[in-house]
Amino acid sequence: MQFWNSRRERLREEIRTHIEMEIEENLQSGMPPEAARQAAQIKFGNTLLAVERSREVWGALWLEYLFQDLRYALRSLCRAPGYTAVVLLTLALGLGSVATILAMTDSVLLRPVPLPHPAQLVVIYGKTAQTGTYTELTYGQIQELRRDSRVFSAVSGYATTVAPVGASDGMRIALLCMVTPDFFRVLSIQPKMGRLLDSGDAAQPVVVVSYDFWHDRLHGNPHAIGSTVKLSGAMRTVIGVLPQGLEFPIGAGAPAVFAPMSLQAKGTGLFIPGAALALARLQPGVSISQALGETRSLFNHAHDGVDGQHLAVESVTRFLTGSMQTPLLALLGGVAILLLIACSNAANLQIARATERLSEMQLRSALGASFPRLLQQLLIESLVISLAGAAVGGGLSVAAVAVIRKAYAGQFARFDEIAIHPGVFAATALLAIVAGLLASLAPAFSTRSRTLAGNRRTATPRNRVSSVLVVLQITLTSVLLVTCGLFVRTFRALQQAPLGFDPHNVTTLVLMPEDSHRSPSLQRETNTLLLHRLQALPGVEAAAMQTTIPFSNYSFSMNGTTDVGGRPFHKDDSAFYSIVSSDFVRASGIHLLRGRGFLARDDGSSDMVALVNQAFVDKYLAGRNPLGVTVRMHRDPGEKDSDIPLSRNLTIVGIVEDELQGPLGSSFEPMVYLDDLQIPTDSAFLQVFSIASEYAIRSPLPRDVLDKEIRAALEQAAPGMAEMQLQSMQEGIANSLRQRRIALRLVSSFGGMALFLAAIGIYGLFAYAVTLRRREIGIRMALGSSRTGITGLILSHAGRLLFWGLIPGIAGAWLAGHAVRSFLFGVKALDPPAVIASAALLALVAALAASVPAWRAARVDPMEVLRAE
Amino acid sequence: MSTREGNDPIDLLQGTLDLLILQTLVFGRAHGHAIARTIGLRSDEVLRVGHGSLYPALQRLLKLKLIAAEDGISENNRKARFYRLTEKGRKALAAETSKWQRFSEAIGRILSPAPSKPR
Repeated sequence: MQFWNSRRERLREEIRTHIEMEIEENLQSGMPPEAARQAAQIKFGNTLLAVERSREVWGALWLEYLFQDLRYALRSLCRAPGYTAVVLLTLALGLGSVATILAMTDSVLLRPVPLPHPAQLVVIYGKTAQTGTYTELTYGQIQELRRDSRVFSAVSGYATTVAPVGASDGMRIALLCMVTPDFFRVLSIQPKMGRLLDSGDAAQPVVVVSYDFWHDRLHGNPHAIGSTVKLSGAMRTVIGVLPQGLEFPIGAGAPAVFAPMSLQAKGTGLFIPGAALALARLQPGVSISQALGETRSLFNHAHDGVDGQHLAVESVTRFLTGSMQTPLLALLGGVAILLLIACSNAANLQIARATERLSEMQLRSALGASFPRLLQQLLIESLVISLAGAAVGGGLSVAAVAVIRKAYAGQFARFDEIAIHPGVFAATALLAIVAGLLASLAPAFSTRSRTLAGNRRTATPRNRVSSVLVVLQITLTSVLLVTCGLFVRTFRALQQAPLGFDPHNVTTLVLMPEDSHRSPSLQRETNTLLLHRLQALPGVEAAAMQTTIPFSNYSFSMNGTTDVGGRPFHKDDSAFYSIVSSDFVRASGIHLLRGRGFLARDDGSSDMVALVNQAFVDKYLAGRNPLGVTVRMHRDPGEKDSDIPLSRNLTIVGIVEDELQGPLGSSFEPMVYLDDLQIPTDSAFLQVFSIASEYAIRSPLPRDVLDKEIRAALEQAAPGMAEMQLQSMQEGIANSLRQRRIALRLVSSFGGMALFLAAIGIYGLFAYAVTLRRREIGIRMALGSSRTGITGLILSHAGRLLFWGLIPGIAGAWLAGHAVRSFLFGVKALDPPAVIASAALLALVAALAASVPAWRAARVDPMEVLRAE
Repeated sequence: MSTREGNDPIDLLQGTLDLLILQTLVFGRAHGHAIARTIGLRSDEVLRVGHGSLYPALQRLLKLKLIAAEDGISENNRKARFYRLTEKGRKALAAETSKWQRFSEAIGRILSPAPSKPR
């Protein structure tokens, strides 16, 4: 800039000297001073032209023009601070939300997990046909893969659970990962300290711990190698610490302990043995679909009859974050709509502004500015503001990403890794440039046609383009609003979903034995003792053990085929079996519909009794008196008593209401509740259910008092049991809705932003239209139109735009509802109340936004307008 | 600001003006006014629209490095900008002059087919 200025200044100086020399000559030849000056100027000609032509010779003029336009754009934007602020804010909102969701998608879904050659790492598992949830493979299947498959260079097995792990700070819950000794070799990682497992460790009492475990539980001790941790009642030596940032197996860093397992082991594992997932490395050049094909055919030919069609081979990245894919893509769709709304808003505001500046443009055109030159300037102004919007939006997204990372790291896979990578910034800048180009096109061409047409007084100018843009905005906004309504209705429906029990004053407690090999009879002794203790606490009304507590992650029930007395057995007749202690009905608050609950006298009796739920009655005993009916677990021909978990007959003594077992909104399954103390200690039931014990405690005491009492009772009555969870049922319910609440909050913030932008758009359009139509309005009023008539004119125009925007909007909302239907509960993709509420809200906002310009139109003074002609 | 192209004689005679400037500078350095005066003496036509048209031509020659500019003091003790031929300019002038002479001879032949006789 300085360079150009000085060069130009020097040229001007030179020309001045030239003219002065000429004047001097003229004076010497005897001219009077004034004539001498004039003659010199005439002889020189157009000074400005000489300078301009010279500058054109210098070249790089476009760059100078660019700087000129930039400066001019900044100056004129500063002169219209209101306009600038609105456009900037609009684009910052649109681009900022796009950048945030792009950064999340990029970090979570697209970036490979930080492991060596992650593209070759795959997880192999089974998929259940109905629900698509994953199941583990048997040890035998993993060994088969290892032996017979040619697509993998290495196959290892791992199984994940949580378990109490003892260190110097006591017993605390940690992630327990049982791995085959070659697991870390398949991952190809090096230890931070010590060594990793090798083939000789399969049966050794050793563990490798994660960085987080070392940091949190071993206090980052540099001499941690060789120290011991207590796992399942036995001491194990720490032989290695993993490097920081290892995300396997749950997609986030966590205090985790990796203990060796052997695929040859039978029934003596730390927890349910015999099943694991396979982590394998593909041979170089083998694709995942090839691997899937080969593995499927391998399993189809295997004699153990596993259905290869339900086998899945997935890249580690996808396996860890697959569940995030649909929500993130849905969010991406949402922000794309938001950006479109923001862009059309910016375009509309620029059209309005271009109209205001029409006379300036006409003047410049008359002074010789060519259309490309004017276009360049409009474009630069548009780009300046959209890039500034991208910068502000980028800043917003940096803050948003930091908040999201802080709030949700560790709760969702890979959320601790969320960051804005340069690519996302580049993409946002690119979007901003495209948005700037698009937004400046409409005003540029409307300016062109009008500067060429010249006189704008010839007709009432109307801008079809801005009307179309507002209709588009209304359409997109109604899509977001209706979707938002669907989420609100879903949330309401979930909150009102029947629980089947009274959640008030219920506290739930989960314990896990430190030693998983405790005998069932010892376990029962502890249970009984603890229950007596809890029931005796002052202020406690009832306490019960339950293997299935609603909203708990530690609930177990066993699905078993079942014979119902008086009904022929069908192949799919089954029920879920849950074990409870005798005070179950009172403590859990489940509603007893008929009959009675368990009584103390049942405990010692050899006649086994059972409670069933309403779903059981509906499915198997419809139209019959269920009380007194005998139920037993089904025995296939040839099966002995010892092959089934429970061989005794059960008499139904009571019917309870359906109690929720899954998350809110899940369906009710037939349940059979058994009295814990009636079950023989050698039953396979008890072994399965001894992994964790859950208790429901009913008490009106305040939380902190009750917690203190319970913990004191635990210390005395249940040594050797680690506390996994102690929370009120209400907290459990709230937690189960947490993810829903996050989704609702996100979607409604989109809806709110869209509504806000649409309001700006509608206001902008009408404010501009009223300015343009002042003359028409003045004439109408002079011809006798009332002020109400004028207001009506504006508002009916707004109503028409609303109508034309809503029609495709509702269709779009139906499509959007269809796209997000997996998140919905209790509403259909096309939900009339959501549509009506959204339309009403949009109509209200549109009316408010249009009423200010309408009011201004009604105040037009016809005399003033006509006189101005 | 304007990118519109005019149809004034300067464009047509641009090559001529460049050549004249270079010729003027053969005898030594000169400032803009002196160059204009010299050219004006030789050909009124070229600078008809004004001395101002000299300056874009000077910038063009500077850019081509055919001439160089330096600050100096004029005969009237005025600070002025002086131009002189560079080595490249001298060579270009020699080449251009012969080309120009051939060209004007050709034009002369076309305009007067009969050999002109001195009056």
